[in-house]
Amino acid sequence: MSQGRNGKTAHGTPRSGSAGNATGNRRNPNPQRTGNRSSNRNGRELYAVRTRKKEPTQDYTLIFIVLFFLAFGLVMLYSTSSYEAGLDFGDSAHYLKRQLASSLMGLAGMVAVSRIPLKFWKKVYLFLYVFSLGMIVLIIPFGTMVNGAKRWIYIGPISVQPAEISKFAVIIMTAVWLSRVTQRTLQTWKGIFTILAPAVVEAAMIYGITSNLSSAIIVLVIAAGMLFVTAEDYRRYFVLAALVVVLAAGIVFWAMKSGGAGGTFRIQRILVWLDPSAYADGKGFQVLQGLYGIGSGGIFGKGLGQSMQKLGYIPEAQNDMIFSIICEELGLFGALSIIMLFIILCWRMMVVATHASDLFGSLITVGVMVHIAVQVILNIAVVTNSIPNTGVTLPFFSYGGSSIMILLAEIGLVLNVARNSRQGDAA
Amino acid sequence: MAGNRRPGGGYNVNNGSGRRHKRAPRRFNHKMQAKLVVLFIGVLLAFAVLILRLLVINRDNGNEYKKQVLSQQSYDSKEIPYKRGNITDRNGTILATSELIYNVIVDAYQMNNGPLNDDGVSSYLEPTLDACERLGLDRDTIEQYVHDNPDSRYYIARKGLTYEEKTAYEKEISDAAARVSNIQKEIQKEKSGANDESKLADLQTQLEDAQKANEAYQNIQGIWFESSYTRSYPNGTLLAHALGFSGTSNEGAFGLEEYYNDTLNGTPGREYGYLNDSSNLERTVIDAQDGNNLVLTVDTNIQSIVEKYLQEFMEEYKDGDFHQGYGARNVGCIIQNVKNGEILAMASYPTYDPNDPYNTDLLEGMPVLDEKDSPTYEYLTKEDVDTISQDNEQMSRYLYSLWNNFCISTYYEPGSTAKPFTMAAGLESGSLTGDETYYCSGSLTVDGWEIKCHNTDGDGMLTLNQAIERSCNVALMQMALATGEETFCKFQRIFNFGLKTNIDLAKEVRTDGLIYSADKMVDVDLATNSFGQNFDVTMIQMITGFSSLINGGYYYEPHMVSKITSASGATVENIEPRLLKRTISEDTSAKIREACLQVVAGENGTGKTARPAGYMIGGKTGTAETISGDPDNPRDKTNYVVSFMGYAPADDPQIAIYVVVDRINHYPQDDAKYATRIVRKVLTEVLPYLGIYMTEELSDDEKKELEELNLSNTLAYGATNFDQIPTPIICDIDTDGDGTADAIDANGDGTPDTPVDTNGDGVTDAVDTNGDGRADLYDTDNDGVVDSDSPKEGQVDLTQDSGSSDPVWKSYEVDSATGYYINPANGNLIDPDTGYEYSASSLPDNIGTGKASGNTGAADSDGNVGGASTSGQTGTSSDATGTQSSTTADQVGTQDGTAVQEGTDDGTGHNGAAADEADNAQNAGQDAAGAQ
Repeated sequence: MSQGRNGKTAHGTPRSGSAGNATGNRRNPNPQRTGNRSSNRNGRELYAVRTRKKEPTQDYTLIFIVLFFLAFGLVMLYSTSSYEAGLDFGDSAHYLKRQLASSLMGLAGMVAVSRIPLKFWKKVYLFLYVFSLGMIVLIIPFGTMVNGAKRWIYIGPISVQPAEISKFAVIIMTAVWLSRVTQRTLQTWKGIFTILAPAVVEAAMIYGITSNLSSAIIVLVIAAGMLFVTAEDYRRYFVLAALVVVLAAGIVFWAMKSGGAGGTFRIQRILVWLDPSAYADGKGFQVLQGLYGIGSGGIFGKGLGQSMQKLGYIPEAQNDMIFSIICEELGLFGALSIIMLFIILCWRMMVVATHASDLFGSLITVGVMVHIAVQVILNIAVVTNSIPNTGVTLPFFSYGGSSIMILLAEIGLVLNVARNSRQGDAA
Repeated sequence: MAGNRRPGGGYNVNNGSGRRHKRAPRRFNHKMQAKLVVLFIGVLLAFAVLILRLLVINRDNGNEYKKQVLSQQSYDSKEIPYKRGNITDRNGTILATSELIYNVIVDAYQMNNGPLNDDGVSSYLEPTLDACERLGLDRDTIEQYVHDNPDSRYYIARKGLTYEEKTAYEKEISDAAARVSNIQKEIQKEKSGANDESKLADLQTQLEDAQKANEAYQNIQGIWFESSYTRSYPNGTLLAHALGFSGTSNEGAFGLEEYYNDTLNGTPGREYGYLNDSSNLERTVIDAQDGNNLVLTVDTNIQSIVEKYLQEFMEEYKDGDFHQGYGARNVGCIIQNVKNGEILAMASYPTYDPNDPYNTDLLEGMPVLDEKDSPTYEYLTKEDVDTISQDNEQMSRYLYSLWNNFCISTYYEPGSTAKPFTMAAGLESGSLTGDETYYCSGSLTVDGWEIKCHNTDGDGMLTLNQAIERSCNVALMQMALATGEETFCKFQRIFNFGLKTNIDLAKEVRTDGLIYSADKMVDVDLATNSFGQNFDVTMIQMITGFSSLINGGYYYEPHMVSKITSASGATVENIEPRLLKRTISEDTSAKIREACLQVVAGENGTGKTARPAGYMIGGKTGTAETISGDPDNPRDKTNYVVSFMGYAPADDPQIAIYVVVDRINHYPQDDAKYATRIVRKVLTEVLPYLGIYMTEELSDDEKKELEELNLSNTLAYGATNFDQIPTPIICDIDTDGDGTADAIDANGDGTPDTPVDTNGDGVTDAVDTNGDGRADLYDTDNDGVVDSDSPKEGQVDLTQDSGSSDPVWKSYEVDSATGYYINPANGNLIDPDTGYEYSASSLPDNIGTGKASGNTGAADSDGNVGGASTSGQTGTSSDATGTQSSTTADQVGTQDGTAVQEGTDDGTGHNGAAADEADNAQNAGQDAAGAQ
């Protein structure tokens, strides 16, 4: 709750919460920050010290980028999906309408989340975490097959992807725990694994129940990223990273050895990744067509709406492969612009995290930043065939109601942190 | 982790201001910030790598991928079929049309690659196979195919699904979806309304069922439809030979379909993509242009009549005296409009169904073909046909011969039907004057060859006309010899023998090598040519030449198509009659007509049996020897082509008809009556259909025949025979005392009766004695005197037929001032007794007196009674009315139909109760006009 509003609210509600009566009765309210303390018994002294800031901080850069992404994302979504939507549903705006509705709901959610005191999350984090696990379990009886995978639950007309909720839950959960442990705990392997435990459980369930490897990885990476930032040493993380690299290389090597014989589809995907043109008619089709899209765009692209690859060559181009169409239509210029904007988005979050009034807020922001960064990196890496194909959506661009709403809620968290950041420090 | 929570603080915060005693917030310290920066740099590095990757892809593979993208686009993906034009007869009856059909395409790949169901198979497979079954496909075949070719994306599973079948199938699917949404709506309604629990539960169950059913439909994936056109001939074999046929490839074969192939075919449309200036793909659809339609000169009704009798003939002589099989090798008939060369009917048997041209069943009984495809004297049995069906080459040889149009593609020696041409050549060249007489002793010796007349006893002294009438070969030979080779051959060219007629049908045969040229002709050849042997013609050559002999020498190009219209119905081209040349003069033509008339009308005429009931026609029979199968004795006098070529009616030729019977399967063959009987049957129906009035008295047998055929006796309309003309009922009372009888009092009660014309022929044949608008006394024997109170057959009291005893006007509103009825249509007053309608201007003076004076006025002026008028007729039109009936009696004999037509003009002026009679008079008049 911000001090700035006390002037208004205090008149009507003399007993209003944290601000206290002293400031509430001031004729000319001099907005001050209360911080986000769990207790404000000492509030009066603190106010006396910190009365420098007049307005709550809004990170307009962040807001602008997010809104721009939303609008631009809808344009690109329409461009990529209109052809197939017209064929399949007789309505070229089929996907656009749904995504627009999700975006608007998400925006409302974002505003709401940015107003909910952060400490609220500290109270409900456990519930939220259990809820996210429960949702994943619910997939077993109630899940709906879409495109051969059981990842969605339909509640009436709305489809929910529990994996997206998990990301949100893990960010909150890990942030809460990290903000409560000592640096000493983090210096032990036991401490590290304890901190990672909720994310590992979540990821294991996501992978075990929905076979959604990419979401599991993202959940793990979010927690690991937050942990990395909080812990003050480097050695263990380099060891961990080295382990992961060795493991990945081992899997790839093993996949090459086995030659795909009897391998699961993941092994096959690795083989496809190594040589997509050898599988051009089958598993490599999508990857190769995506590359064609990227390669044929040139510097400035074919122009908005002029993609040829979306005309049936990249199936469901509005999903994971949307970046390929962006490259084709807007060229390297458009693609680099989007990457730059994502970098700016991350940078802004870094700034917000740095200036957050408490560690919890910082960690949440770091979690959100890692989430978005990882998803963008993985998505572009898949589209450019830099890693084996795995279904990762491009934040703010790919079609998906759950994804966009969770993302906007996370942005809401960051905005909340930004509003309550230490005065004067925020840019 | 609860262990890490230490209530009351104890956080180890390096830069924290408070320690232990205060819960200062842990902060994001510098080390963390540094690590965040490291993390951010990591992210930057990752992005950098990806950007590099993008650049590398574009640099290394950009051009290759660009080409790849362009090359995998389908630029000419789809051809849109056009509709081949219709062929209709002169009345618009569709003879050939193209119908939109659909091919069912199975996409095995899509079927196989749906989401897996519990059994691990594509969930699209079952529902789609079910759908295939509903579309009439064999489930097992499709299942096998889909299994064997899992990646196939285009397999034509069924051709020729009709539009109805396709819509029915699609409706089934949309109905299932509609049912779901309907139940959903109902649930909503129930919820917002009564909210009855049990009803809701019931609806819920229904919804689940519907959804389940719908889900199965939604999983139908891998079937789609491709449109195409198929040719269909709604009338089956009708006009088959002239039409030809065309398959789905739109390539016409034979007849009109081949001749007008380019006209009937449109331009296919195309849906295609192309690259524009900036290498962007543009997609364009160019619609198909449908083909043009043909409107034929053929009349389906006449064609049907012709084919009916040809078929009857073939059936009658089937499996006859000579061999098993066809009733004759060929029998053909052409009816042509002599005045412009239009073909009204063209048929030949054996025929086939263009809907199913490859049906070999029809080959049974056909002559075996030798290696030059000429028919031999052996005939195909059922076993032979089965053998032939196995051999494609053989089969096409025989089918080709079946598809052949005998009327234009087969040549033969015409026989005596050539005699009018020989005579015309002689007369026109001046070699004959027309007054010659010839003596026939039974044979004539030319160049040492004795050539016999068919009457070997000799015909004695013959005039030219008698020579034609009796078909005397000797006389004709003498005529030809008098004409000379040079002139004879010249006239053969003039009559177009040896040349194609250029009729607009495909595969007209060339006959230029089959006639003599003057320099190679010797007298014997000339002699045999004179009676139609030793040279070959086609049916179309003969009838077209004959038409010119009859119509005054005008040789019109024969044609089948009168108009070409576009797909939207606009006229593209009118095909006018084409006068090619003048063959003979009007005088010669008249002489030929006279001679040909004798063939049918003359005492010794050979074609008497060709005359249809009620008509007089002219013509010429033909009995031609043909080459037999025996090479040692080629003219063994057993194989004949018999024919009759005629024109009708005799007094004003409208049509020419030619029937040829090629080697009838009946002994003996040399009897032209086979042909004349067909001609007679055909003309008996065709001439009344054409609205040509009978001129000849009907015998009782003929009347019976006509009745059996359900043909009307048209004799009364234009008859020259006075005995048959009914006399109007005679006026016998003088109403105004001027000494002249001016009205009818048929029942002798002293008051005038209303004359009625029951059969609409313009002659009074009944009276209405009590003024109720219905006839009650009839003249049944046409003698002008009423003799019965019940009508004879054919005499129908038309007012009674109307079914109401009260005249129409009695149902109208009554005008209170005058007591008259008011015509609601125009507000005129109507006399309640007579039904006479007063126009507004005539009202004041005529009320009350109009009817009486009017009637007498009519009688006065001419001393006659209006034939078609009633007592309501007033003086204003009395003159004309009187004229009508009097001229009917006078003029019918002199000029057909004219008088009746005059009556029509008057009849149109009638009102009220007179309308019925007037209409009849009018109809009769129009019929008469049509015949002129």
